[in-house]
Amino acid sequence: MDEIISCVKRDYIIDLVKQGKRVDGRALDQMREAVVEKGLIKTANGSAKVKLGKTQVLVGVKLMHAEPFPDTPESGVLIVNAELLPLASPTFEPGPPRVEAIELARVIDRGIRESDAIDLDKLGIKSGEDVWSVFIDIDVLDHDGGLIDAAALASIAALTDVKPPKDEDWKLPEFPLSKLPVAVTVAKIDDRLVVDPCLDEERVMDARLTITTIEDGSICAIQKGGRGYFTREELEQAYDLASSKAMELREKLR
Amino acid sequence: MEKPEKLLIDGKRLDGRAPDELRPLKIKAGVLERADGSAYVELGNNKVFAAVYGPREMHPRHDQQPDSAVLRCRYSMAPFSVEDRKRPGPDRRSMEISKVTREALEPVLFLELYPRSVIDVFIEVLQADAGTRTAGINAAAVALADAGVPMRDLVSSVAVGKIDGTIILDLMKEEDQFGTTDMPVAIIPRKKVVTLLQMDGHFTKEEFKQALDLAFKGCEKIYEVQRQALKEKYAIKEGE
Amino acid sequence: MIHVQNREIVVPGQLIAEGNYRHLEGSYREGNKIYSAVVGLADVKGDRVRVIPLQGRYIPHVGDLVIGVVIDNHSSGWILDINSPYTANLFVSELVHRKVDLNKEDISKFLSIGDVVLASVKEVDEYMRVLLETPGRGMGKIKGGKLVEISPAKIPRVLGRKGSMLKVIESKTGCTLAVGQNGRIIIWGKDPERVNLAVEAILMIEREAHTSGLTDRVSLMLEKQREGGI
Repeated sequence: MDEIISCVKRDYIIDLVKQGKRVDGRALDQMREAVVEKGLIKTANGSAKVKLGKTQVLVGVKLMHAEPFPDTPESGVLIVNAELLPLASPTFEPGPPRVEAIELARVIDRGIRESDAIDLDKLGIKSGEDVWSVFIDIDVLDHDGGLIDAAALASIAALTDVKPPKDEDWKLPEFPLSKLPVAVTVAKIDDRLVVDPCLDEERVMDARLTITTIEDGSICAIQKGGRGYFTREELEQAYDLASSKAMELREKLR
Repeated sequence: MEKPEKLLIDGKRLDGRAPDELRPLKIKAGVLERADGSAYVELGNNKVFAAVYGPREMHPRHDQQPDSAVLRCRYSMAPFSVEDRKRPGPDRRSMEISKVTREALEPVLFLELYPRSVIDVFIEVLQADAGTRTAGINAAAVALADAGVPMRDLVSSVAVGKIDGTIILDLMKEEDQFGTTDMPVAIIPRKKVVTLLQMDGHFTKEEFKQALDLAFKGCEKIYEVQRQALKEKYAIKEGE
Repeated sequence: MIHVQNREIVVPGQLIAEGNYRHLEGSYREGNKIYSAVVGLADVKGDRVRVIPLQGRYIPHVGDLVIGVVIDNHSSGWILDINSPYTANLFVSELVHRKVDLNKEDISKFLSIGDVVLASVKEVDEYMRVLLETPGRGMGKIKGGKLVEISPAKIPRVLGRKGSMLKVIESKTGCTLAVGQNGRIIIWGKDPERVNLAVEAILMIEREAHTSGLTDRVSLMLEKQREGGI
């Protein structure tokens, strides 16, 4: 069930955006404050909690033995899973993952996989039989919008937190992470672009665009969502916003 | 994990605790924005969130009770909360824990005040080190009070057990795994009645009584921390 | 015998009084003892004991002013979310104050999904089925304004004793407010900065509802903010 937003609130949010303002007082190109906390979970190899405004996401990374895929017998496996816990919102219900959770996991997966952030080729153990599997599990704790950005930041933060497992098959000096992909979402509300929409803004937006970039500003993943559309100019503007905001967020990973 | 030769050396446990000593306990009320009520509990290495939604409209409708609210509990463990990765979603163990958690909490709630509605309790274990169900109940009780749900009292919970022939309070993982007995208990502290009791292992009758006494003592301490957490949320901070 | 201080924050199960006291909201009796049932402020006056809750969902009572959001319609009216475990029913005749021939008139012109309605509770039955009516001036569909939602338990503080807090907010911000018992408040004002000032005051009341001297502090805050730029 989606939450119905009252017409009064909808009009109010749109009206504000028209004036270049936002419900929570931010500028259109301003992210909410992001707070990254690493190493909270001892049972995980790496973990991080990200607070993006009031949204809270916790990510745990586990390194486990697994069978390789037949076409890449010597490479490690990356698996990203997201749980929209019913704890996090009155609209999340227990049960099999909803399409939102699947989309969330897949967008994060693409950002990490397509940027070659993790050198999976180094995570083989025995060709065709045994490799390291990197499980990235995303637990959404409090949903006030911006889940993709918060989860992507928490995922990469958790990866930077990974300590090598105590296992005789682990031969590497450290976890082979070489890039820091960061996702930033831009929403379109009444033909204006706003960065990092909060939940109220997500409910009234026409469309959103998530762009994941790495350190040199190049793009490794894009996801458009929502019923509306973006013009060519808007796409370029969205990229400029997303890549510059990603730089700011990446600072939080240090 | 390898089995240690002894779990109790010179009257001290592996983490240095005395047999009747709780692990460090931290409780915070009102930690989640969206939930009607919430709490975070750290008990030793356990890290647990609880969120309460409701009373709210019951779906599906045919689950409604015409004369009272329904309490629903869902206990869940994050995939990264244990040494091996836990497959996400409910399994038989978590379904049973959800049920006994509900039954532990129901007796204190004035459910009859909210006909046809549902009160949802969600417990998420982020890091597990034995005693997650008791930590979850402690968190859920605080979260229910934080949500303003009318209740006769809080519910406090702790596990007791036996290692190397000695009755101990609040088992940690090694003691749970290699000890003789594990007995989670939940009580309504004011009335001194038990709302959850499970046990596996071995106790003589004397040991059982001794273990219950110890559980009641432990719960008293937990109760005080729970009450403090609720009061602290509204404490006026200096400088305000 | 009273076991708490007046206005002390109490928690469920806490002993408040022993003996011949009448117990009201937020408390319950066992034998001759009265305990708190909620987290709230103990309130003892004469032989009357109650606990003013600091949290909790809105439960409708006849006569309450509420602000609802239309979530569904049926042949003769609408279903409204009133920020409660229970939805409320508003029949078209209660909205337009005349007989409506449902075969001839299309009622969707009166209200659509998402519309906000100011109404009062006409009836609540034992199954918690709720009927609304819109008899007063300004009731019915709301146009414009900003909708704010706070914990319904804090609404009494937003109103204040005999509406004193509400008067302070309205006079210092120049805005008009409609305050629903169900935790929803609509603010109308020409200047968005002033509307935001009213919102800030409401959020301050929500945060500090359990403290005393709040009216003065809100008044002071509004004056300061007004000098500081607007």
